Amino acid sequence: MEYIGEHTMVGNLGQAFISIAFAASLLAAFSFYRASKNEKLKLEWLPLARGAFYTHGLAVIGIIACMFTMIYNHYFEYQYVWQHSSLDLPTHYMISCFWEGQEGSFLLWTFWNIVLGMILIKYTKKWETSVLTIVSIIQIFLVSMIMGVYLLGVKIGTSPFVLIRNLEENLGLPWTEMANYLQVVPQFMDGRGLNPLLQNYWMVIHPPILFLGFALTMIPFTYAISALWKKQYTEWVREALPWTYAGIMVLGTGILMGGAWAYEALSFGGFWAWDPVENSSLVPWIILVAAAHLMLIFRARKAALRSAFALTILAFLLIIYSTYLTRSGILGDTSVHAFAGGLDYQLLIYLISFVVISVALFLVRLKNIPSIEKDEDSSSREFWMFIGSMVLFISAFQITWFTSLPVINKVLGTNMAPPLDAIALYNSWQTPFALIIIFLVGLTQYLSYKKTDLKKFIKQIAFSLILAAVLAVIIAYTVQMRHALYLVLLWATLFAAIANFEYWRKILKGNWKLSGSSIAHIGFALVIMGSLLSNANKNVISTNDSFIAKDFPSNENILLEKGDTTIMGNYYVHYKSDTLIGINKTYEVEYFDLQKDGSFEYQFTLHPFIQLNKIMGNVAEPATEHFALYDVYTHLTYADVDEHDTSNPYHHESLINIKQGDSVIYNKHFLYLDSLMVNANTNIESSRALDVMLIAKIRMQNMQGEISTTDAIYAVKNNIAQSFPGFLEDGDLKYKFLFSEVNPEAGSIQIKAYEHIDNEKPFIVMKAIIFPYINVLWIGMILMAVGTFIAMLQLFKQRKP
Amino acid sequence: MKKTEIVLILLVAVIIGVIMSLSFNASTYITFADAEKRMGKEFTVIGELNKNKEILFEPRLNLLTFYAADSLNNERKVYYHDSKPQDFERSEKITMTGFATDSGFVARTILMKCPSKYNEQQHIDQDSISTLPY
Repeated sequence: MEYIGEHTMVGNLGQAFISIAFAASLLAAFSFYRASKNEKLKLEWLPLARGAFYTHGLAVIGIIACMFTMIYNHYFEYQYVWQHSSLDLPTHYMISCFWEGQEGSFLLWTFWNIVLGMILIKYTKKWETSVLTIVSIIQIFLVSMIMGVYLLGVKIGTSPFVLIRNLEENLGLPWTEMANYLQVVPQFMDGRGLNPLLQNYWMVIHPPILFLGFALTMIPFTYAISALWKKQYTEWVREALPWTYAGIMVLGTGILMGGAWAYEALSFGGFWAWDPVENSSLVPWIILVAAAHLMLIFRARKAALRSAFALTILAFLLIIYSTYLTRSGILGDTSVHAFAGGLDYQLLIYLISFVVISVALFLVRLKNIPSIEKDEDSSSREFWMFIGSMVLFISAFQITWFTSLPVINKVLGTNMAPPLDAIALYNSWQTPFALIIIFLVGLTQYLSYKKTDLKKFIKQIAFSLILAAVLAVIIAYTVQMRHALYLVLLWATLFAAIANFEYWRKILKGNWKLSGSSIAHIGFALVIMGSLLSNANKNVISTNDSFIAKDFPSNENILLEKGDTTIMGNYYVHYKSDTLIGINKTYEVEYFDLQKDGSFEYQFTLHPFIQLNKIMGNVAEPATEHFALYDVYTHLTYADVDEHDTSNPYHHESLINIKQGDSVIYNKHFLYLDSLMVNANTNIESSRALDVMLIAKIRMQNMQGEISTTDAIYAVKNNIAQSFPGFLEDGDLKYKFLFSEVNPEAGSIQIKAYEHIDNEKPFIVMKAIIFPYINVLWIGMILMAVGTFIAMLQLFKQRKP
Repeated sequence: MKKTEIVLILLVAVIIGVIMSLSFNASTYITFADAEKRMGKEFTVIGELNKNKEILFEPRLNLLTFYAADSLNNERKVYYHDSKPQDFERSEKITMTGFATDSGFVARTILMKCPSKYNEQQHIDQDSISTLPY
């Protein structure tokens, strides 16, 4: 049967590209492996190996091109397109659709590996064959994740080119037998669309950078494994070092960009929440930093090589582990933004095989890795750098272990729940680690390799320590920080920044080419300082009066009616208006300052909005006003965005039982039933009342004593009861009264009273937080990236013989 | 003994500390009845939202109340002193941390599992197709 309107060609082409990419990566791995045997085989196999790798690369680019074609042209017969995009999606977000799903994000990773693989082919020289063997093997695994083929009844990977009618759960359904299903089934007219959380500019740029970071982590790993495999234990460090720095820079930037996205677009009020997904990208970064420093120790002193091997390998294994954590669905109840599962067994097999092979190779070769018998001097720089790396390792271990709780539960069969206040728990663990590390970042600048002259050391360090202490006191006084541990941490970050600046100025004589490590260290100190100042002193200014229990947040929202102004912290806030712009319902919230003379001075306007999305649910996005020294963050925690039924504007029914002559209190009004009149036409022949009309005379009095009256009528005609409501107004307030029943025993009648929806003004509930000195964090982040970049350039230069 | 060895021993000691500490810090998923045995102490309960009972959000009180049943199907009223999360009604499983009181469970945080966000509706709904006029 020929289906009408399907575009199967692009899918078939894409699927063919997948097969080519897979076959080529197999061939590349095999021929690079053969070429790595000896020089003779290298001559024979290398051209084939390179050719295979290039073919693999072209095929992957082909896959990506096919996917973009599908998404761009809205071919909703494809599962991936239907699930991740929609007709109304702007073009720049089509890029985000590409990596919203598992398949696309694996492709992104594969793509970066290819780019890096090409560079490696060009520049690695004698390491090429072994390094590229490992890269090709990794590519085999990555491509198999998007294969979508059945092998002996087991499904391998999920293809992005699956037609919805070919999905397992749809096979055999009646509509799949219809040639014109695309024309008649309404669901195929439009896709489900992109997750509203991802419709944000940060989500266009953050994933590619993060995945480039993942891909870069692979390079030191391939060098380390090659070194173990080829038993050339020392040379690899010089080759891998600049790549390690590239990884630190890109992965670090990617992680902090994720933080920026969370801060700007998510609603949890902060840039870091120790979410499992965040943690699992942070941990490889920490390990990579530790590995880089161990490599530096080796380069300077020929020591710490074993640990350098171990941590370099570990960094990449942790990347695979983090992929497993976030994509297998195992995180389940502990994370809000984990991917849905489905590939868990395949990922688990890869994870285990990579871990087993790498660890086995490391252990087999461990004895042969050269190490220094002599102990390092306690006053040497390398000794404290080593300690620092180990503290980084423990810090990463703590994060991994606590994040892995669902995995531990599964393995041990336990039922542990995540800590009640996870953020506080992680902070209490990581603050001391950060303190030690940041202090060492400062301290080691005054130490020399091998042995330090203690007299000179004390003289130099004393100045920085005292200056840092003075600055810390001033800052702590300004921001009113009293927590002892935080004060020490603040002092340590200042010390680290000063120490690194002094080192660059005095020892490196202000040489910009060598400034990389100093700038990066200062950046790191500022990142820690910025997170300390902005988080420890963050101030929720939107508070109400409720109190439930100590340390139990229950009062962090304020309610603001449209047109109203209310006090909030040092500000007065005014909810001016709301407008619907496209899919965003935007609220205009103005901030004022109260002047001494009692007048209000306008400060700024924030536009928090709610992205309306019928399919996936509405998403509130915060708005932040940035100042040099602090940010004012405003987030709507509730707003009524539902469209009201204007044909029936009365709601909030209340039942009122009332006797003739009585009064009741209703909505700040007195309500009287003045009289109840009965009007009946009696049919003489049967002496039964056929047509009856009951009239309730209702009088309403407001607090000013103003009176209005109406009639609510209950009529029976031809045995059909009908009620005619009465309407009353008090200024802007409108009410409706319906005569609903008569209770003869009680001698009363029942009236249903309704309020008009306009009686209640629209309102928003919002949360506002002041983050002080958060710019320190962003400046630190930029310095860290710039510094690492400079260091990387220097290391690439030094590598050339 | 070499200094490096001392460092490594310290390292192992801290790691063991980290491993052990997880079980102290981690709470366990428990039921409402267990939480009621120690009222006022915070626990984590996984519950299922009862969509047939009233879900009441009172913005002026900053209070959301709803009914949830735990794993043993015991239902309690839950008080959450914050705004109603978007799409609360669509959630199925709710992870709640908080404490029990005589009148119900007071939640500090609630984490919803919305099937709609990622899984549901990824499939063409068969019912709506069979009602098509063809």
